[in-house]
Formats: sequence, structure tokens, C-alpha cells
Amino acid sequence: MASEIDIFNEYPLYMDPSTKAISLLPSSSQTASQKAAITAELTELNDLHRSLISLDSPNIPPPPLPVNPKRSAQITKLRDSGNAAYRKSNYADAIRLYTLAIEMAVSRPGWEPVTLAREELAGLYGNRAQAHLGMRAWPEGLCDAKASVDSKPVGNVKAWWRLSKCLAEMGRYTEAKTFLLKGIEIEGRESEGGRELVQLLGDVEAALQRAD
Amino acid sequence: MVDWLSLAVPLAYLGVLIGSLATFSSLYRKRKAQKAASLESWFPAHIQRDIYFSLMHLDPPAEKKSPAVPESVLKASLLRRATEDIRRVMTLRSQKQALGVLLQRGSVGDDLWQRFLRAEKEMEDEVRDVVSEANAYVPGWGQVIFQSANEMLNNDLYRARLKEHSEKAAEERAWWDKKKSSIQEEFMKELNEESAVPNAKIADVSGSTSPIAPASVSASRPVTPAKQNLAASVANTPSVQGSDDDAVMVEADTSTVNSPGTPGSVSGKKKNKGKGKK
Repeated sequence: MASEIDIFNEYPLYMDPSTKAISLLPSSSQTASQKAAITAELTELNDLHRSLISLDSPNIPPPPLPVNPKRSAQITKLRDSGNAAYRKSNYADAIRLYTLAIEMAVSRPGWEPVTLAREELAGLYGNRAQAHLGMRAWPEGLCDAKASVDSKPVGNVKAWWRLSKCLAEMGRYTEAKTFLLKGIEIEGRESEGGRELVQLLGDVEAALQRAD
Repeated sequence: MVDWLSLAVPLAYLGVLIGSLATFSSLYRKRKAQKAASLESWFPAHIQRDIYFSLMHLDPPAEKKSPAVPESVLKASLLRRATEDIRRVMTLRSQKQALGVLLQRGSVGDDLWQRFLRAEKEMEDEVRDVVSEANAYVPGWGQVIFQSANEMLNNDLYRARLKEHSEKAAEERAWWDKKKSSIQEEFMKELNEESAVPNAKIADVSGSTSPIAPASVSASRPVTPAKQNLAASVANTPSVQGSDDDAVMVEADTSTVNSPGTPGSVSGKKKNKGKGKK
């Protein structure tokens, strides 16, 4: 087995001397699909390399915890200004600010804990969904609310409500009902938010009966 | 004096016996080795690992000025390799139990199990190799490289999901625009029909001022109470919203609900129409 660990397929790689970007030389004997896979992998590698160089010496990712607080502060700032814009019913601005915050949160380096990213993005997507709701942009609101719920299913009752609301507004009652039931199952009926879900469920069911 | 002639028979017998046994044994072993070698490996080629080793073996270019591959590239490559290793180890772990059950029941052959064991062993060596390589770059990195790689893997998966959602948005928008226009069209057609039959709902029409009213009355009369209901639920939302940190949302939400004069209200009416018809 010791011999097996040393066996590998050698690829004809090439490194750009100035940018240090690695690429595959065209004169290789791989099939097209293999080449595509290797090229994709090399792109990932070059991206990772770029983010590694920006780190302090010794250029290795720090352990997941503790997190560098700089980015979190910036994201919080953007979200707060987004909330302020929303408060003034300036939905377009709010959406723009939330989008910036989302971009920043998404570009967090990969080695930072995923739970943190989920928590942050769930809030941001939820807020952006609400802003879309304010503009009556149901499809966008739907997708944002879905992303929010996907990021954080538990303790995210507002996003569940927004998701179902968008579906109901677009006349997709069956789907709305499915999501409402799921949301109620997770959040429980008794909580304040749970009751709102139950109420919306009643409306949706009424609408469904009318449709029949 | 030895009787060579009488000895020749038992000697020949022994010779044939040993010879045939030896041939059989060597053939059998060769075939077995071949079979083991021809077992398909569990995973496809480990691209990250191949790239890492290819980089290690990348010859420094002929001109002396440009240096060999810098360490940071190798580190990045090692991280990618660790990420892929985690994915593979997870896969193996999740498959092991199911495969064991299948093997016990005799649903799968021994070959599959052999392949699995071999993959497991390979991964063990691979992980050990990555840890020692990491420690060679920076002392102590071996302890955390897999933690980092694990987060990277999970983050990758999560980002892919998010990307899916954001790509869906355009699709949903196209669908909704189409549906909205078809509802509008239908509505206009209905309106024309209504005017073609003047005495149909003349009594109803006379009471209303807006041109939209006849259609909405005829098509969606039972809707209205529910409609109000829905509006009420919207008005109530603030209590949900208010349950959390941002009291901001509360006020704003009420304001949207309570201001029917906003430009959104017109299109809202049309949407309500569409809903009533569904």
C-alpha cells in the first residue's frame, strides 16, 4: 500500500511566472470531460491561492474560530442602513443596500464557520424579501424568502410567513399551504409568529376552496 | 549398482507431480493478483491529489530566473486536496453501514466489499499523508487543516444552494410576468364580452363607478370577504414582525398596508382580480 500512495496521474501543468496562476497545457492526452474537470479545479485552486496570499504569513487559513470581526462589522453597518432606508419606505435603496450586504457575506472566505454565514445570510435575505414585498415584487421576494428559510429553517418565522405570502399573492395556494404547514411544524402553533402562520393558512385554505 | 531404469519411473512421477503443482500455484496466484488489480477503484481519479503531485514535480523552467512553484500555491493545492478528502471520507462513512447490511444478506458480492475496504485503506493513508505534508509546511497546521477544509466544503455546498435560489429569481419573474399579462388579457376579454351583452348585469353596473367593477362583481363576488380577511392578516403582521429585533419593519409594514393611495394599489387590484378567478 505504501507504494500505492505514491502513484498519481501527472498532468502537464503550467505556471504563469508573474501571476503564479496554474493552467493546463493544451498538449495533453486527456479526454474533453477530464480536461474540463481539471480546468474547473484549477480555477478553484487559483481563487483559493489568491485569497491565501492576502493572509498574513505563514499564509495558511487560521482555524475556523475565532472569526475576524472586521467583515461582520461592515455587514452589520450595511444592514442597518438598509433597515433605515426600509423604514423610510425607500424600498429600492433598501434592496440595494441589502444586496451589498449579502454580497459581502457571501464572499466570506470559505474557512470561516458556515454556521455564521448561514445565520447572517438568513437575516439579510429575510430583510430583502420584506423589501421586495414592500415593492410588490412577489417573485423576487419568494426567492429571497426561500433562501432565508433554507439558510436557517428554525427560529425564522418571519421568512416562512413572507415565503407563503408571496406564493399566495401569486395565486399559488397549494404551494403556499405546503410551506405554511412546514413552517408551522417547525415553529409551533403557540408562538406569536406561529399564530400568524396559522392565520395565513386559514386564508390560503379559504382561497383554495374557492378555487375548487 | 543402482538400477536407473527402475528408478526412472518414480522419479518421472515425482517430477510431473511437482511440476504440475508448481504451474497450478503460479497460475492461480497470477490470476488472483490480476483480479485484485482489475477491481475498479471506489472513487474516480483524485484530481486535487494529482494536481498537487504534478505541481510538486513541476520542473523548474529552463531559464534560472523564474523560481519553482511557490509554497503558497502548494498550500492552496493541499487545502483543495484536504477538502476533497473530507468529501470522500464522508461518503465512505455513510456507505459503510448500508454496504455491511447488504453484504450480510448476500445482496452484493464479495468484490464490492473488497473494493470498499481497499478504498477505506487508501483514504486512511491519504489523510495521514495530508496531515504530515501540512505539518511540513507549517508546524501545527496538520491539526487544523481538516477543520478548515471541512468548513470550506460546507461553505461551498451552501453557496451553491444560494446560487440556485438567486438563479431561480429570474425564472420566477418571467413566469409571473407571463401570468400577469395573461390574467390581464383574460380580464379585458371578459370586459368586452360584458359590454357586448348590455342587459346582463345592468343593475350591478349602474351601481359602480369604475369600469373594472362589472367584471369583478360578476366573477369574484364571493371573494370579497376573504379578500378583506387577507388584508386584515396583512395589517396584523406587525405583531409577527415586532417579535424580533427590528422594530423597524413594523412601522414600515403598517405604512404599506395603510396607504392605499400608493402607486402599487392599482396593480394590486388587478392581482386581486386574478386571484378571485383562480
